[in-house]
Amino acid sequence: MRRLINPDRVALTGSILGLASLLLGWLTLKPNRLAAGTSLNLSESLGQPGAMAIVVLWLLCLALSLVKLKRGRSIGLGITANILLILTLVLVGLASGRLLEGEPAAARVSLGTGFWVTLAATYTVIFAARRLLDGWHTWQNLVSFSGLVVLAFLLSVGWLNNISVMEEFSGYQQRFVQELLQHMRLFGISVAIGTVIGIPLGIWATRKKHAEKPVFFTTSIVQTIPSLALFGLLIAPLSAISFAFPVLRDIGIRGVGITPAIIALTIYSLLPVVRNTYVGIRQVDPAAIDAGLGMGMSRWQVFRRVEAPLAAPLVLEGVRTASVQAVGLATVAALIGAGGLGWFVFRGIGQAAPDLIVLGAIPVIILALLVDALMRTIVRLGTPKGLGGERR
Amino acid sequence: MIRLEQVTKRYGETTAVNQLSLEIGKGEVCVLIGPSGCGKTTTLRMINRLIEPTAGRIFIDGRDTATVDAEKLRLSIGYAIQSVGLFPHMTVFNNIAVVPQLLLWENNRIVRRVGELLELVGLEPADYIRKYPSQLSGGEAQRIGVARALAADPPILLMDEPFGAVDPLTRERLQAQFIHIQKEVNKTIVLVTHDLDEAIRLADRIAIMESGRLVQYDSPEIILSRPGSKFVRDFVGADRALKRLSRISVKDFIKPAAAVNVNQPKKEALASAAGHRWLWVVDDDEQLIGWVDTKTLMQSVSTKEAMDEGDAVKISILESATLREALSRMLELGFKHIPVVDDSQRLIGEVALGDIEAATAEGKG
Ligand SMILES: Nc1ncnc2c1ncn2[C@@H]1O[C@H](COP(=O)(O)OP(=O)(O)OP(=O)(O)O)[C@@H](O)[C@H]1O
Ligand SMILES: [Mg+2]
Repeated sequence: MRRLINPDRVALTGSILGLASLLLGWLTLKPNRLAAGTSLNLSESLGQPGAMAIVVLWLLCLALSLVKLKRGRSIGLGITANILLILTLVLVGLASGRLLEGEPAAARVSLGTGFWVTLAATYTVIFAARRLLDGWHTWQNLVSFSGLVVLAFLLSVGWLNNISVMEEFSGYQQRFVQELLQHMRLFGISVAIGTVIGIPLGIWATRKKHAEKPVFFTTSIVQTIPSLALFGLLIAPLSAISFAFPVLRDIGIRGVGITPAIIALTIYSLLPVVRNTYVGIRQVDPAAIDAGLGMGMSRWQVFRRVEAPLAAPLVLEGVRTASVQAVGLATVAALIGAGGLGWFVFRGIGQAAPDLIVLGAIPVIILALLVDALMRTIVRLGTPKGLGGERR
Repeated sequence: MIRLEQVTKRYGETTAVNQLSLEIGKGEVCVLIGPSGCGKTTTLRMINRLIEPTAGRIFIDGRDTATVDAEKLRLSIGYAIQSVGLFPHMTVFNNIAVVPQLLLWENNRIVRRVGELLELVGLEPADYIRKYPSQLSGGEAQRIGVARALAADPPILLMDEPFGAVDPLTRERLQAQFIHIQKEVNKTIVLVTHDLDEAIRLADRIAIMESGRLVQYDSPEIILSRPGSKFVRDFVGADRALKRLSRISVKDFIKPAAAVNVNQPKKEALASAAGHRWLWVVDDDEQLIGWVDTKTLMQSVSTKEAMDEGDAVKISILESATLREALSRMLELGFKHIPVVDDSQRLIGEVALGDIEAATAEGKG
């Protein structure tokens, strides 16, 4: 019996969180967009059979997270969590239509705490399964992203249109696309600049003894400044500069807007890139470099043919960290007028409209997940064969 | 071929190499040896200018190396080091192909050359060219390192403890192979080692260094028989007489051995013993298969019945062996004579313990 039980902590936490979420309010029926409304429990929201199915699935998850997990069961865990996720979305869509029947047009169905906690719980379990499946890239991606694909499908066919978040979305559709693109622009440009500056900086730190300390001192210090403060700090000097040189104003360099946001995000991207480049080059076996030089390679040839390929995986890993971090931080950029998905979040806070906050926050999380997956693939492709033994 | 003239290397206060002069002839194996930190590696690395001397000059084929472009110079000198330094992201093929590629050889020629080299170092090309360094054993990696150093057929080879990082058994095999390879390629080799036995085995001349200075530069025989100073005497140790034996081939000590054919009648066999107590037994192909005690033989019906069978590999030595190996085999087996066989285990003769003792005594003083 002992042998069979080997709880996975993360999956267990997720399952318990999921079961707990069933006791909370799931949907809220509101007479209009801003009113308080009445909270409905699980079976009131989704109906008896649906509620039963969800309870059973969470119990299954719980059981799976308690037993000793081999590959097959880890896949089972991932699949169960995904079914839960998909079922929840489908049932919520159905329920919202049913609840609004006969209600006035201003009435709204919004998602309650129970739904969001279940969502978080399924992703906790999915995360656990993903980790247990380390090495099986296909299954990992399937487990991580099939829920998102179904979500995208449900959204595109209008299944969730009766949910208040989607009604907010339909009111802001154009704006949403615009801010999403702006968000991608913000983090994309900053990570690109951060990489282009960070890699040479990291290499320089490995080459010159006296460069090492100042480079790491500054990049680490900057990293500890809260993002909001850094954004704010940049406003004054940039406005001063743009007032002194009006030409700069014309090309968009001002105290507020996209320029200070990109500068701040770039600075944040520097540390992971610089640090990983430095470590990546430092961990190259000195004997390989000595052999290269001894055989008659020039310093540049040793760098290009030995150091660079051997450092590449770590450098790319740094860019991945920087990217995921920048997707999150770019949300704050809206505060200094740079736009991005943060615009919805802060507007939602200002109007006390939780649906609007969700409309900004959820896409940020999804974007971060996608960027992470994309960068992981790039890291894998950038890792030369022969490193780290057998690779799948 | 290589000449160092009053070469000095200083690092601030410490003098790593001090006014060292050394001349290495073409096709010679020069082994640098001495206590840790005496400047062996520094000396070696000054030859291919990985380290620039503080003072003094180094000539290769009469040309001052300081006047040659350092990278060109290194392309013409093979370089192998203890930690091997194979490139982990390159296959064995690409590792060996580095210098030929830098020299812009044609692809076909590189492929052919890599195959030749792998065979030379005793690795099957088809099995190895696609492997990565992480898939090699320590000994295999060392051999690939040597193959890589030989890739562009450089006339000179610099080796810094090339057999340092492997177990004693593998090291011995690699040394034997080194001797074999050197016979074939005949390079001018400067080799650094910590291991005196290795130096004695491989060197044409040994350069003994002490805190940056050259204290004696002579053939192993002379170093062992006439150490020039107390330092050298202590360095080679009290057992130098024994060590000397490993420089002497058994060839000159082989005497005819008393042997009988296994199918010879007892009488004939006893007649051919001619005073010997022990006789070697061979089969119809002259291959050694055991020995027989004449006392036992007298009491038994045939040679076959009386003989002690023995595995030729264990009870004999090859004619290419050294007196040291002969001696150690004799002590192991408790023989006063040991048979010498050729590659196909045919009996050639025997070596007597008394003769080895005499050879040891000769070198004394
Ligand atoms: N880059 C350097 N900076 C300062 N001192 C050095 C440097 N390289 C070598 N030395 C010193 O020079 C001396 C000779 O070093 P070297 O590496 O040539 O010794 P070695 O004979 O090869 O020793 P080992 O047998 O331990 O490899 C040592 O005392 C060492 O500390
Ligand atoms: Mg050394």
